[in-house]
Amino acid sequence: MSILRITNLKTWFPTRDGIVKAVNAVDLEMKETERFGLIGETGSGKTILGMTIMRLLQPDTRVEGEIVYKGHDLLKLSEEEMRKIRGKEIAMILQNPTTSLNPVLKVGNQIAEAIRLHQGLDKRAAKEKVVEMLEAVKIPSPEKRVNEYPHEFSGGMRERVMIAMALACNPTLIIADEPTTGLDVTIKMQIVRLMKEVTKQRSMLFITHDLDAAAEICDNIAVMYAGELVEYAKTEAIFKNPMHPYTQGFLNSLPNRGLKPIRGMSPSLIGIPNGCRFYPRCDCAEENCKINHPEMVELGNGHLVRCLLHDRS
Amino acid sequence: MHQITKITGYIAIILIVLSFNFFLPRLMPGDPLSFLTGDPSMDMPIVLDEETRAKLLVYYGLDKPLLQQFADYMHNILHGDLGWSIYFNAPVSEILIGRLKWTLLLLGTATALYMTFGILLGAISAWNRGKKRDVGLLVSLLSIGSFPPFFLGMLLIILFCVNLQLFPLFGAKTPFMRYSSPLDEATDILYHLVLPVTTLVICYIGDVYLLMRNSMLNVIGEDYIVTARAKGLSEWYILRKHAMKNALLPITTMIALRVGFMISGMIFVETVFAYPGVGRLLFDAVTYRDYPLLQGAFLVITLVIIAANFVADIIYVRLDPRLQHN
Repeated sequence: MSILRITNLKTWFPTRDGIVKAVNAVDLEMKETERFGLIGETGSGKTILGMTIMRLLQPDTRVEGEIVYKGHDLLKLSEEEMRKIRGKEIAMILQNPTTSLNPVLKVGNQIAEAIRLHQGLDKRAAKEKVVEMLEAVKIPSPEKRVNEYPHEFSGGMRERVMIAMALACNPTLIIADEPTTGLDVTIKMQIVRLMKEVTKQRSMLFITHDLDAAAEICDNIAVMYAGELVEYAKTEAIFKNPMHPYTQGFLNSLPNRGLKPIRGMSPSLIGIPNGCRFYPRCDCAEENCKINHPEMVELGNGHLVRCLLHDRS
Repeated sequence: MHQITKITGYIAIILIVLSFNFFLPRLMPGDPLSFLTGDPSMDMPIVLDEETRAKLLVYYGLDKPLLQQFADYMHNILHGDLGWSIYFNAPVSEILIGRLKWTLLLLGTATALYMTFGILLGAISAWNRGKKRDVGLLVSLLSIGSFPPFFLGMLLIILFCVNLQLFPLFGAKTPFMRYSSPLDEATDILYHLVLPVTTLVICYIGDVYLLMRNSMLNVIGEDYIVTARAKGLSEWYILRKHAMKNALLPITTMIALRVGFMISGMIFVETVFAYPGVGRLLFDAVTYRDYPLLQGAFLVITLVIIAANFVADIIYVRLDPRLQHN
């Protein structure tokens, strides 16, 4: 059963220089307990997509399309109804725990406030729950740590706090935005394992540019480029048999796969030209790619790709 | 350890201020007796002969070497002796203590009010940035905040005391009034306090409002505000629990610095409303060239400013846990 179905989602920001089309006609479907990886480089619109689902963007942002969660279109809910979804049904782990935790509030209280709000527990019961949560994310001596402030935690521990915060109200869906960024390798692997463990019975949209982490955790992976999805497949298929030239380039840029960067830069999201968005950087590009914008096509076995090389229609 | 360093710092500041207080008047040309000795430029009617002048110098201790005078001054101050007022013919410390309670009442009430409302309105304004509520507050507070205190004070007197006769014209209490109960007295004091406090609040609220609004705008863009929203917390809750405390951090320091500015406004307000506080006393001391009194008043005002900074220091550490450990 699908838990989240996004249809033709567009997130546009009106700015003085023009409209920034950060998310463009994205379709995506997540099944129950599926861990879905959304990968792409910085500026590809992954984070904006996550924020759009949570409706955490500025009110002047133009959002169109459908985000159907458990049968309800989130975009049609009132702000008050949406608040009951946030943190309770869908929780988000935001990027960068150093700035995402409030520096002047105790860590325990920052976790407890969601518990008290959504589960109506009193102070003491909420605190017990918080200790439990800190234990679940493997923070040592949690009884002591609840009363500490974020600056007393290391980077890895702060990330654990962010995870505990998201798990606090036992959400069905977790949107994790680059939870492994900025951590050193050993800590990163611990966090990845932890994320995998705590999302066993949940759905997770795992937003990252860290392919190793995505490979470790996710069932399916979608690749995002310049505001649209360019490839979607099972995790093994993405790694063993990448079809889109961008995905191939992305994989080849990894340190263990040759460290070969993709030439050029990702395009500005203002005034996007016709044709394939990856065309200027693509080594396989043909004349056709400049004019026609490719549609997603299925190559069989649920492998989708947005590339004219594979589009025989 | 940290506390000790801090307190030592404050003691050092007070000692420096005391030195300034002593040396600055003495850097001016002439001495306190020059106008008594019939200096033609001073246009004074009294002429002192050399003998009397010498006696007076001895009497005031002005014949001693400067350092000896300084030592005496410090010694006296540490023993609570601020000298003798020439105009009031009474000990300076006694006069100051009598006046200080009124100033503290006026300054305290005004500060509490303009800070509370300035901070609250600034926060509300920032939270509704660009909307009608924000623009309305911004325009109205900026325009009322640009009145000079003495002018606003006079306007209020003309409107509320002379035309409408709602509030008393001057002083802190009705003269020669016999109060039937302490409550009666308190009401009378409150009645006299309304207009001076209103003047100060109106003149200074704009500042705090703007500071808070800016500080709040910075906080609103922070990631932890998004985190709070992602938890499903209500806007009002986020404003109160997450944003306020962070936005108040820079405000505390700035407000302590503003106390100095407020003193100057207080001198005007106390003078216009004939309020018997230290500000009015300072004005009188200048008018009557009462140097010991002037020194005493300066000293008290400086101490009030230092105390405000001290309080801000304490509040700041309370607000920001990052400062508690190092």
